[in-house]
This record gives sequence, structure tokens and C-alpha cells, in this order.
Amino acid sequence: MLEVKDLKKSYGKKAVVKNVSFTIEKGESFGLLGPNGAGKSTTISMICGLIPYDHGEVLVSNHSVKKSPMLIKQKIGVVPQEIALYPTMSAKDNLLFWGKMYGLTGSVAKKRAEEVLEFVGLKDRAKDRIETFSGGMKRRINIGAALMHEPELLIMDEPTVGIDPQSRNHILETVKRLNEKGMTIIYTSHYMEEVEYLCNRVGIIDDGEVIALGSQAELCNRLAGGSVIQLIVENKSDEAIDAIKQLENVSQILHTDETNQLEVFVKNPHDRLGEIVSTAVHQGMKIVSVDIKEPNLETLFLQLTGRSLRD
Amino acid sequence: MRFLTIAFKDLNIRLRDRKGFIMMLLMPIILTAILGSALSGMFGESGSLPSTTLGVWNSSDDNLTEEFLDQVLQGKDMKAYITLKKYADEASLRDAVERQQIDVGMLIPSEWGEGLTKGEVKNVTIFTDPEKELQSSIIESVVTSFVDRVSSVYFATTVVAQELATEVPVSALVSDLPSITTDLANQLSEVVASDVNFVETEQDGEEPISGMQYYAAAMGVMFLLFNTTVGATSIIQERKTETLARLMSSPIRRSTIIIGKFLGTFYFSFLQFLVFMIATHYLFDVSWGSNLLQTVAVGFAYSIAVSGLAMIIAGFIDDEKTTDSVGGIGVQILAALGGSMVPLAVFPESLQRIANIAPNKWALESLTEIMSGTTWSALSLPLLVLSLIGLGALFIGSLRLRIK
Repeated sequence: MLEVKDLKKSYGKKAVVKNVSFTIEKGESFGLLGPNGAGKSTTISMICGLIPYDHGEVLVSNHSVKKSPMLIKQKIGVVPQEIALYPTMSAKDNLLFWGKMYGLTGSVAKKRAEEVLEFVGLKDRAKDRIETFSGGMKRRINIGAALMHEPELLIMDEPTVGIDPQSRNHILETVKRLNEKGMTIIYTSHYMEEVEYLCNRVGIIDDGEVIALGSQAELCNRLAGGSVIQLIVENKSDEAIDAIKQLENVSQILHTDETNQLEVFVKNPHDRLGEIVSTAVHQGMKIVSVDIKEPNLETLFLQLTGRSLRD
Repeated sequence: MRFLTIAFKDLNIRLRDRKGFIMMLLMPIILTAILGSALSGMFGESGSLPSTTLGVWNSSDDNLTEEFLDQVLQGKDMKAYITLKKYADEASLRDAVERQQIDVGMLIPSEWGEGLTKGEVKNVTIFTDPEKELQSSIIESVVTSFVDRVSSVYFATTVVAQELATEVPVSALVSDLPSITTDLANQLSEVVASDVNFVETEQDGEEPISGMQYYAAAMGVMFLLFNTTVGATSIIQERKTETLARLMSSPIRRSTIIIGKFLGTFYFSFLQFLVFMIATHYLFDVSWGSNLLQTVAVGFAYSIAVSGLAMIIAGFIDDEKTTDSVGGIGVQILAALGGSMVPLAVFPESLQRIANIAPNKWALESLTEIMSGTTWSALSLPLLVLSLIGLGALFIGSLRLRIK
């Protein structure tokens, strides 16, 4: 369905996307995970034909975005990060407008608007102005506008930013249903749990590069250290950290000078916890809190970059 | 035709913005009322005679004098302007002038009318209040004109009678001469009393326009100029909320979006112009000229110019606040330069030349010319200039327009 090959984009001397490559099969739900500023939105914008790429190729159903932009735009539905709607127009008028931009007319457009309103659960608010909606409802219409022309590929750029948990769940359920109906989805987010819930395959992007790509299981298996024991301590010292590093099954320790936090990558964390804590105490550190994180995309990102997804 | 969908969407959004629409329509109407009334004296609209109260002491009791007072000074043309008051003696007449109870005093000597029919001209005395020279000159002209007519009749009658007496045999004429002379005199008397000048007057040159007319055009033109800011802000908002990016990710060309945005501003501007024109016509009786098509054509071309300028502002400025500030100041400068505040004629010549850069100057000048009466050929240059400003600005603006 989608093939992205060696995609590059620079603004001046700053490279914002560096040799990004991935493929997505028809009906797949693909997550593009990365912190803010990683290059997710730029990659998405190039796939949509919104900004030109400097190098590489984007093929949708074997058609080049560069050579057949109109054909590809007709196949794609885009849900932008912002609420890209007209606030003084009603929900229905917004949907009709965006439908018309994709070539829907007359009764076809009206019927489709009704269906979409039903699908996003806002049929009873059809005639209300967008400006009167809550953040979550706006987000739902924002998604609905991209569904009007029944795209083959739906690209969603952080569609749950800044909304309450209830609306977020509604949106996640909506996306899940769309994928179950056979729609191919690209979902970008810096919320690991959303990607874990929705996506069959994941690409982790950081500083313009894809640093990990595969199914969730494949990616978690890449975690050499298994789980992470997170320690908040007082009196942190290099000697104490070195002593913990020497312990069995400890593969890596991440820490910064600015915080009192230690991220200890370790296999069988429940077995090794007592030894790690006693070593730390023996070396003069005071333990404030302990947390065990099971292997997931967050810990993988942490291991690969030394940073949290939400840093 | 998706550009039409975009344009109508923009028009729809602006019409829903009641506050904005009222401001764009109500403000120019209020300002037209204030400025048009307050500054009407600057315009050549009061071309009628000043009203005059004329005091008369008439010591002549002949028919011709009565005819002068009743048929000439109080005839159907003059009655609207001259109020006649009769006085019993010269002293009371003088006193009335001095007390400014009347504007002009007129003393008619005894047997004045009868004397005129015999070719004897007795002087009428006019008492003048120094502050009412214009009124006294008008009365003096009326008296002089009447005396000239009567004298002409007298001399014509005399000359004809003398000629007949000389050329025709006396036997044939002797019985008829008195009656012929009387008939001739009577016929010519009708000419004396007549208010017909035998000169047909026609308006030469342009109709003077009233203050209300001028400021209706000036305010209409000035407030239409605000659409440059409104149109630019609409594009900047679309850029900020990413609806512009969303439009660009739909299967429509960039040029379609640009034309759609341009037409959105154009539709609103042109509609605003038409509504303002109709409103001022019915509210303030403003005449926009005898050729409505010319007025509409100027409104159309000016709306093109305004919409093009909106695109150029959106192309060069990124945020709404700067657009509002720059637009607001720019509109004020252009309004002043283009004659919307004070008529351009009072500016020095050099400033009038600089004013040619202001599209509102071309529009205002054209509209006032239409009000005075003008030809299509005289309008062709401003129509061309306004259209070129709009299309040129649209071209430059579209080259500069960014999506994000």
C-alpha cells in the first residue's frame, strides 16, 4: 500500500528527516512513534504531498507522490495535529465542505456526512457550530472530515493531543473500528500506549531517523536488558553506579547529572531487585522510590536513545 | 469549480461574523451621516438664491408700479426667495433696515411707473445693510432689468409710430394711428410683465455633488479597503489552524485554493459595496449618479484591487496581530492620501500626484465623477488601473503564499 524509500528533507543545513524507509501493507495499522520534534510530522507531510522531499521516493499503491500527486491525494485521508476545521461553521457544513474538496457533491455528500456524523457519535450535534464543541468532540469531527471520501489510507498525526481520557478512548475505539473494516492506517504519536493498543507494526523515529522498526513483539525482544528498574535515590555517586553495573544480569544504567533517577536495565528484575537495592544502600545511596517497568516501546526507546518519549 | 466552493465558504464565514459585518457596514453609514452633514459647506451644493426680506415704501400709485410689485417681485419665480413688506414712509423704511428687520429697503418715487411709459426714468433708491450686499445686488438687478424692458417697449412704440406716420399716407392712417399705437404698446406691455427671458439655460459642465454624496463614496471606499486586512487575516488564520494545509493535502491545485481565497474576499467586498450603496441611497437620499452600471463597474474593479492587496499582505506577513496593525495603519494612510478624510483638491499638487498610488483614490475619484456625470471613456483608465492593481497583487501574493 505504502512504500517510503530513503526519504530525506533538510531546511537549510539542518537535516530533519534522514534516510527514512518503511513499507506498510494494505489493511495494516502502522504506528510512527517518537518524541516531539523527531520528524514524524515532516515525514507525514511528505507522504501527503504537502511538502516536497529532497531525496528518496514515496509510492502509494505503486504511484509516486511526486508524479501523480492528485491521484494519491484522492486515496489518502489526513487528520492533522491541529483542529483543521472552520469554527463558525456547523459540524455538518464542515464535513460537507471537506467532502466537496474531495469531489463529493449533492445528495452523495449529504448522505456521507450523515454516515460520518453517526460514526463519530455526533449526529445530534450536526447543526451546532464547531466553536461550541469540547476539545474531544472537535477532534472527532477532525477525524470525520478525513473520512468523508472513504480513503484507502488514513494518516493521523497525533490525533489525541490535548483531550480528556474519555474522548481519547472514543477516538482510539474509532480508529480501531476503521482498521477492522480494512482501512490502512498510519498513526503518529508520542503516547506509547496508544501505539501499543492500535498498531500491528511500529516504527520508532528520533532525530529524523527510524531507529527501530517491526512488530511490537519483535521490538520488545530487541531489549537486551529485558525490563527496567527505576530508582529514585539521594546521595547518588559514580562509585555506587559502577557497583550496580557489576551485578549479574545488569546490562545498562542510564542517568543524568540533573536528576536523582537511575534507569537500570536488567533481566529477571524481580529476582535481582533485592541485590540492586542493597548494593545501592551499601554504597551510601538512600532509596526514595522503586519502580519496575516491563519491556515495552517506552523502555525500548529509553534504551535506544537514553531519553524518555515525552522528554 | 472547487474554487467557488472555497470562495462561498469564506463568504459564508464572514456573513456569519455578525459583529464584523455590522462594523463593516454600520460604521461607514454612521461616518457618512456625520461627515456628510458636518462638512456639507465645503461642497458647491447650495446654488439657489438667498432668501431676502424686502421693505418697500411705494409713493407711486400707477398700474405699472403695482404690476412690478405684484407680478415681478412676487411672481411665481421670485416669491420663494423674496418676502415683501410695505412701509408707510421713508423714515420707517430706513429704521427697519438699520434694525435689520429687513435685508433690503426700496424707495419707489411718485409716478415712477407712469414716467417709465413716457420714457422718463426716475431713480429707485435702495437702502442696503452692509452685511446683506448680495441680497441688495439681486434686488438692484431685478429693478434694472424691469426698467430696461419698459424703456425698450416705450422706445419701440415711439419709433414704430413715427415711422408709420412718415411712410404711410396720412389719409390712410389718420383714423387708425392711435389704435395701432395703443395695440402695439399693449402687446409690448405683456413682454414687460413676462418672466420669460427668451434664453434657454442649460447646465454646462458637471453637476456639483453634495457633502453627503462625497462622504458616502469616501466612507464606502475607505471601509472596503479594510477588506485587505480581513482577507489577509482569513488566509493567515487558515495557515495557523492548518485548514490551509488540509486544503493542500486534498486533491485540488494550489492555484484553485488561491483563486478561491481571492474570490472569497472579492465576493464580500463587492457585496459590502452594493449593500452600502443601497443603504445610503435609501437612508440619506444619496444619488450615486445617473449611470448605475458605471458605479457598479467601479465597485467591481475596486473589489478586485482590494482582494488582490489582501493576497499580497497574506504573502508577506505571517501573523494576525502584525496584519491587523500594519493593515489598520495602512488603511488610515491610504484613506487620508486617497481623499477619504478630506477632499483631495485641498492637497498640494505634489501630494495629489503621490495619491495615484492609492487604489482608493482612483475609486473615489471615479465614483464622484459618476455622481457628477461622466463617460465610459473617462472611466476606462481608473477601471484598468484598479483591475491591474488587483491582478498584479494577486500574482505577487500567490508567489509568496506559504502553506505553513
